[in-house]
Amino acid sequence: MSGTAPATAPGTVPAPSPPAAARTVEATKVYGAGATAVVALDEVSVAFDAGRFTAIMGPSGSGKSTLMHCVAGLDSLTEGQVFLGDVELGTLSDKELTLLRRDRVGFVFQAFNLVPTLTARENIELPDRLAGRAPAAGWLDEVVRTVGLGDRLSHRPAELSGGQQQRVAVARALAGRPDIVFADEPTGNLDSRSGAELLGFLRRAVDEMGQTVVMVTHDPVAASVADSALFLADGRIVDRTESPTVAAVLDRMSSLGG
Amino acid sequence: MLSLTLREMRAHARRLAGTSLAVVLGVAFLTGTLVLGATLRSNFDDLITEANASTDVVVRGATDLGLNQPRGLVDRSLVDTVAAIDGVAVAEPVVSGFGQLIGSDGEAVGGNGPPQIAGSWTTDPELNPYRLAEGRAPEGDGEVVVNRRAASEGGLDIGDTTTLLTPEPVEVTIVGLATFGDQDGLGGVTFTALALDDAMTHIAKSDDAVSSIAVRADDDVAQDDLADRIGAVLPAGVEATTGAAVADEAVDDIASTFLDMLTTFLTVFAGIALLVATFSIHNTFSIIVAQRTRQAALLRALGAVRGQVVRAVATEALLVGVLASLAGLAAGVGVAGLLKGLFDAAGFALPAGGIVVTAGTAVTGLLVGVLVTLAASLVPAVRASRVAPLAAIREVAAERTSPGRARVAAGVLLAGAGAALTVVAALGDGDMLALVGVGAVLTVVGAVVLGPVAARPAAQLLGAPAARLRGMTGVLARQNALRNPRRTAGTAAALMVGVAVVSLFTVFASSVKASLERTIERSFGGDLVVSAGPFGGGISPELAAEVGDLPEVDLAVGIGQGAAQVEGDTKQLSIADPADLERVLDVDVSDGSLADLSGPGAPGQPGPAAMAVSDETAESNGWEVGDVVPVTFADGRTEDLAIGATYETDDVVGGYLVPRDVWAPHSVQDVDALVIVDAADGVATADARQAVTAVAERFGGPDVEDREEFAATMTTGVDMMLGIVYVLLALAILIALMGIANTLSLAIHERTRELGLLRAVGQTRRQVRAMVRGESLVIATFGAASGIGLGLFLGWALVQAVGTATGGLGVFALPVGPLAIVLAAGAVAGVLAGLRPARRAARLDVLAAIATE
Repeated sequence: MSGTAPATAPGTVPAPSPPAAARTVEATKVYGAGATAVVALDEVSVAFDAGRFTAIMGPSGSGKSTLMHCVAGLDSLTEGQVFLGDVELGTLSDKELTLLRRDRVGFVFQAFNLVPTLTARENIELPDRLAGRAPAAGWLDEVVRTVGLGDRLSHRPAELSGGQQQRVAVARALAGRPDIVFADEPTGNLDSRSGAELLGFLRRAVDEMGQTVVMVTHDPVAASVADSALFLADGRIVDRTESPTVAAVLDRMSSLGG
Repeated sequence: MLSLTLREMRAHARRLAGTSLAVVLGVAFLTGTLVLGATLRSNFDDLITEANASTDVVVRGATDLGLNQPRGLVDRSLVDTVAAIDGVAVAEPVVSGFGQLIGSDGEAVGGNGPPQIAGSWTTDPELNPYRLAEGRAPEGDGEVVVNRRAASEGGLDIGDTTTLLTPEPVEVTIVGLATFGDQDGLGGVTFTALALDDAMTHIAKSDDAVSSIAVRADDDVAQDDLADRIGAVLPAGVEATTGAAVADEAVDDIASTFLDMLTTFLTVFAGIALLVATFSIHNTFSIIVAQRTRQAALLRALGAVRGQVVRAVATEALLVGVLASLAGLAAGVGVAGLLKGLFDAAGFALPAGGIVVTAGTAVTGLLVGVLVTLAASLVPAVRASRVAPLAAIREVAAERTSPGRARVAAGVLLAGAGAALTVVAALGDGDMLALVGVGAVLTVVGAVVLGPVAARPAAQLLGAPAARLRGMTGVLARQNALRNPRRTAGTAAALMVGVAVVSLFTVFASSVKASLERTIERSFGGDLVVSAGPFGGGISPELAAEVGDLPEVDLAVGIGQGAAQVEGDTKQLSIADPADLERVLDVDVSDGSLADLSGPGAPGQPGPAAMAVSDETAESNGWEVGDVVPVTFADGRTEDLAIGATYETDDVVGGYLVPRDVWAPHSVQDVDALVIVDAADGVATADARQAVTAVAERFGGPDVEDREEFAATMTTGVDMMLGIVYVLLALAILIALMGIANTLSLAIHERTRELGLLRAVGQTRRQVRAMVRGESLVIATFGAASGIGLGLFLGWALVQAVGTATGGLGVFALPVGPLAIVLAAGAVAGVLAGLRPARRAARLDVLAAIATE
């Protein structure tokens, strides 16, 4: 991860000062075919800078989740390219994609998506264990401390509150020291206090641990925690706001009809 | 409600198909068995009735000793008496008895169950059930006609010369081939026909007596009338029976010796398959219903009463049951054909003929299938109706996963009481088989009830190697098997029952073998045994005499089998020279002396002839040494036999031992089943064997074996039986495995989102497959291991109980090797059962899986 990305599509991406953790080049995603085809992403070119917290915003159906899924290697593009670091995802097989997700990407989902049979600690260590490697103890302690789970580690998900479950999910996403963490409406199922706490953890992961976080949300409060906010509508990026405030985001969203 | 049920069924057609398959297979097996039984009976009935259609009356000895026991002879001069009676068109003397044909390879033809018959060729074509298909009728000088199947099995053809053992070897030349009706034989019966005089000499061993007289009536005379007319002139001890009655007897004989046994045997295994199917269905319904708990709660919230919820599930079960039973019925007819083919391939010759499906068969199959499905769905249906309406609104997992206290208590109570009863009954005195059965059922029920309690620690233990070897994938597999102990146990229960039966048979068979081996080891004093094979057959008593005369041999004792009526019941007898027998076979005489039995009365003193009985026979009849018992033989004569000795060990000679010189005068063909040979001092067994084999060659070459070989021969029958049992149990195991596959599929459906998550965070498809297979492996191993444990325990109890009840089994053998194979096979089968669900799980689309609610 050194130097700038090769200029595969000059002019479309402004050369970022910190290297991009992930970027897309004219990413297009079409669902279905013929008359019923729906364009979810329309030649989107965007870079997610390393060490920064980016929020993707937009009304329902704007393509924000699709964008995230494609960048995260969960879905494939119809046209265009996605790079995670230097790796172009379109060239990877299903297995290579899986291993890439396991080793370099972290996920936080709206519906916490923990494995119910595993304890909190086991859930956190899951990606490392799947890879058959021992979790880095020091790092793990730091992560657990950051999300404040110390005394709940031996509990199963069913014994944890929603906020605690989501903190486990965040810890799991961070545990493998991923190049980038994707969070899909992470506060969607939480009350406002738990949601605020969670956003705090994600913020600290960026500020104190140098992580890169990309978060899809339609909550202006959540977006205001990010370093920058991207606005999507009809599969295109329509705006980008640095250091967004709740008011600015609300203003922008209402103009988009979200 | 009905339309909702139907829509539900359509939506979950795939899951229901998995359930139905268990019912289909079970019903197919049951129907197949019933159809096969009816078909065979009808085929045999048609064949025999048709072949004997023109025989109106049979004149024969009146004393009936039952199955396959020859009757006494009748005077040949009666033929003229009968022929002179008004209404008799033809009266022809018939000789029929034992005759073993030797094939071109020097081996006996047939002899694996069906009788080997030799007799006279009936010259009147209408009286003869056999028809000459090729060649000509025998005219004397050892000319014979052989039924076609026997000829082809023995590699014989017209013009060939071979040996017929009657049981003395007779050189015969085949001059014709016959069919029974239009079939190549009457099942697997071998039939060799000589000319009448030859047959009288060699088989009836008499120049003035025959086995029976076959009579054909004039056209306008009824069978009953003619039988009455003939009966009026017959001497005492001879009867005239209508041809129709004789044909019915023949059909009944086949039914009771073979068909009923076969049908009962198969029905037992169909029952086991259905039992296993019931567990499978119950489990599937439990899962389906649990998955729909929220829907049931919603219905309740919207105002459905409990009964409606129960009825909805019951209706679904009913429809599944009816559809699956109908499919099973249709498949069963196919299975019958398949079974018939299987038995044909195994060497049972069954008559050809159409498949017979009776209304009774159809109703039974349908009823059993529907009832089994309904019964299996009852508990889940009631459970579904008990769900609180609030569960629809609350986000709760409604399926109870952990065992309740009541279950633990009930299970411990049932299993404990069952096991205790089984142990006490097994070790108790007398015939406790029924009690052991009750104990066994209680134990099995208790084990099933306790399954969920045992599932957690068992899965922990069995999953440990997987967790250690496969890392996280193994841990997940184990955790998945652990997450719902009720379900794991329910799934494993089907396999447990199947494997328990397999283990029970394995243990029992190996104990039978070990007991046989021990008997031979302990009681056989001889060095060599000449035997006609595991199914018996006939050896001429002359063989024992000639072998006894060899310089290499000290003593040769023949043991024959016979039957007689004792106090009105037919009893099996062993025939031997008791004084000689004692020197080569240890029967543990408990009172009196075998040496005193030979000859009428004690040496030099006139008095009644004597026999020996086993302690058990003596005890159950209240006899002791010195008592005199009247015994009626096949020729109708009764002799008072004094009990001269009692003995303890009856596994070779059975309940009655009768001296040969008492038996021989009443028997037409005196036959040895085996000859025990003691080599002379200083003669190597190998040398004695060579000499004995040379003699045996002249008597059709029965097997000459040392004790180990003899033991092996005696146990081959056990192994063969066990083989057939394994094949029949395979279906039950298959149903159980399908249950595992079905449960896993349902579980995967349930865990779609979780699987999606695992894939999202980096579980490879290969790891997903390994995880699902691992879960399957844990469940299957749990089922197989508990089944083996259960089977081992019940097998031990059965061996003990049978041993006490009959004195037949003394040894409990633990077949470690075979049981290890069963366990390994269970594990492998578990992995196989997991293959398809594993593939489906690995194929899940990650995004779609995550999005699933």
